[in-house]
Amino acid sequence: MIGASQSALSKRRVLEIADASGAYCGKLLADMGADVIKLEAPGGAPERSIPPFLEGVPGDDRSLHFLYMNTSKRGITLDIHHPEGRALFRELAKTADLIVETLPVGYLEALGIGFPTLSAENPELVLTSITGFGQNGPRASWKSSDLVAGAVGGPLFVTGDAEAPPVALAGEQNFLMASTCAASSSLIALLSARRTGRGQHVDISLQETTLAVSHISGVGKWLDDGIIPRRVGTALTASVPSGAYPCQDGRIYLMVNRPAHWQALAQWIHEETGNEEVLDPLFEGPSSKRIEYRELLDLFISELTALYTVEAIFHEGQRRHIAFTPLQTTAETAADPHLAARDYFIEVDHPKTGKLRYPGAPFRPEITPWKISRPAPGVGQHNDEIFSQELGISDSQLRSLADAGVI
Amino acid sequence: MAGLKVVEFTQGMAGPWIGRMLAWCGAEVIRIESHQVPGVVRLYIPPRSVERVIEPEMSPWFTDWDAGKLFVALNLKTAGGTDLALKLVGRSDVVVENNRFGVMDNLGLGWETLHASNEKLIAISSSGFGDTGVHPGYVSWGPNIEAMSGMAWLGGFPEAEGAMTQYAYPDSLSALHGLFAVLCALEHREQTGQGQRISLSQLETTVAMIGPEMMDQMAHQQPPPRMGNRSSYRAPQGCYRCAGEDQHCVVSVATQHEWAALCQVIGRPTWADDPRFANSDARQAEADAIDAAIGEWTLGLSPQNAVESLQAAGVPAGVVQNTEDQYMRDPHLAERGYFETIPHLKRGEVVAPGIPLGLQGTPGHTTRAGAAMGEDNESVFRELLDLSADEYDAYVEAGAIELPASTA
Repeated sequence: MIGASQSALSKRRVLEIADASGAYCGKLLADMGADVIKLEAPGGAPERSIPPFLEGVPGDDRSLHFLYMNTSKRGITLDIHHPEGRALFRELAKTADLIVETLPVGYLEALGIGFPTLSAENPELVLTSITGFGQNGPRASWKSSDLVAGAVGGPLFVTGDAEAPPVALAGEQNFLMASTCAASSSLIALLSARRTGRGQHVDISLQETTLAVSHISGVGKWLDDGIIPRRVGTALTASVPSGAYPCQDGRIYLMVNRPAHWQALAQWIHEETGNEEVLDPLFEGPSSKRIEYRELLDLFISELTALYTVEAIFHEGQRRHIAFTPLQTTAETAADPHLAARDYFIEVDHPKTGKLRYPGAPFRPEITPWKISRPAPGVGQHNDEIFSQELGISDSQLRSLADAGVI
Repeated sequence: MAGLKVVEFTQGMAGPWIGRMLAWCGAEVIRIESHQVPGVVRLYIPPRSVERVIEPEMSPWFTDWDAGKLFVALNLKTAGGTDLALKLVGRSDVVVENNRFGVMDNLGLGWETLHASNEKLIAISSSGFGDTGVHPGYVSWGPNIEAMSGMAWLGGFPEAEGAMTQYAYPDSLSALHGLFAVLCALEHREQTGQGQRISLSQLETTVAMIGPEMMDQMAHQQPPPRMGNRSSYRAPQGCYRCAGEDQHCVVSVATQHEWAALCQVIGRPTWADDPRFANSDARQAEADAIDAAIGEWTLGLSPQNAVESLQAAGVPAGVVQNTEDQYMRDPHLAERGYFETIPHLKRGEVVAPGIPLGLQGTPGHTTRAGAAMGEDNESVFRELLDLSADEYDAYVEAGAIELPASTA
């Protein structure tokens, strides 16, 4: 059992019928060693058309979004709307530990392959469903998207400049958080199924995962103090000081949360600018003590940051144990010396597109490493492998299934 | 996760939220605190209180990230404190720590030591920058990581200079990944009996959240576009002003069918078949004109009314909700019982955001909130560690066990 390349999830098989809201769940599981089989409609999933494309040119294997979200998976095409396709799906489901799906509520059930049916044929099976609003409740049938989740879940209201409309983050963060929750829930359900012999239906709601992730200014604090946080640019309503401050050649981000960090910062401002007022004990203590002085303190801090370049105040600030960090562009992050020293970005070779650089491990387990074991699959790339070799379907059957548009 | 034993040496949110979720699932989670370094989420002054003193058990942040756990207070700079911490680790399955790189080693609680006390241990260390590289020891909070990751710079409207969350997003995204990593390690341990250490750099987890955008940057040596509220594959998509102060809704159209429905709802039925808007790419090119038409329609409506009409017609849409909207005016969240009412040791009960794990077959719950630092010293050390009354007193005497402030 000892070896450098053990996989944590190598005993688990996962079927994935997921769009962009759930593909990252499958990626997390696959990069940790699960056998994740991605089911696409014959012809390929629509997500293969999500920009950006390599060199700006669309194509089945050129969407960087698809290439990133589907690493380490195997891919088959299967039409579950076709009776023979459904039969194959049920065969596959018997061999699986987990199904991850993002179809509308009740969709699988209407096709006769809902959780009760699948569970009767495989009692330990876990079915994880990711939907906009969850499996029940008055809005279960409402449609969602990453932006809709950001609206109803809360992030939008507090993100952006005070005088501008609410705005979304880069990337589809609400999809990614729902996917990450779904991956954890799935493993908890699988661990439980191994003990009890019973799987379960996991109900992930995009609205709820988004709300939970962004709840720092949430219900408990509001019930306590009645304050609704509003958009305040780069700062945090509850943390003073916080935000981006001007340097000689750009902006530096600063956050102070501990009384000792404030003292160190105030002392430094005093040393460099001669400011006496900043040392007033009125400003000492936790952030909540400084909330009403935010604008004044921002002014004091700007007088300090204006004396430095971004690079210089980053390292001098950190030398003083104050959390100064640059606001990096994507180009700067790609070239970040710390990330480079840790070999964070990795190269993945793809038969169609060649070698591309990817973000690497989101965490580093010592014994069962995170690893991209293969690039994202081509359309139907593993049909033969899975249908013929693993399910024992004959070549002639396979041809007639292909002719009928089932695979 | 009944039967699972977790020990936390944590701060803030990125570490504690892992334990919070495991506790909700039934695990026994013991958080070790110290009066020398009070947790930042406990540093809460109730804004309405005249005297403005810190009330550490009353902090809603403390409820949100730490409810459901047992709390002991140890001075880890004493031999007795480290000794008791190691005894707790020795009987546990999982250790969660998110101190700055080097802190645990300096306390004599580095991985080698923890592992020596428990060969099957799974330990996760979550820090801003990881434990190798140019500056593993640098100080960071979630927003610092967001700033460094490229995500902040890339977000927001094209004409702006980026967008930052107000909720220290890297903390929660790291916690969710940390929880997943721990569960993977548990799965491996069930197969092999083998524990392991997991190291998580919050910067690296955060950069992974803009994976396609970073691939674009690295493949083409140029930054991806800032999208604002638009999408590269859904059109129209945007956030629109509604009647009332700071009221907005969003609309997000993917299919031709949804587009036709939208045209009907906003009173532009002829647009449904207009060749100018024949597909997503065409609508992308005409986004400004379409946004203006949608905005004209929403401006006269409350966001709730606008969204009801749109969803009834099959158009993806949502109200831009704040906390009050979610708690008071979202019948769906209410019916699903999303918010959790938790017994609170000082307040009777409190309401907290739900744990969104969706485990229908094995639903969890939060046992209690509002524990003081050292609240559970006696039950943990006397009952779980079997210390005699004399032994316990000796540890207190030596300053290793720190008593709750009220009884100190």
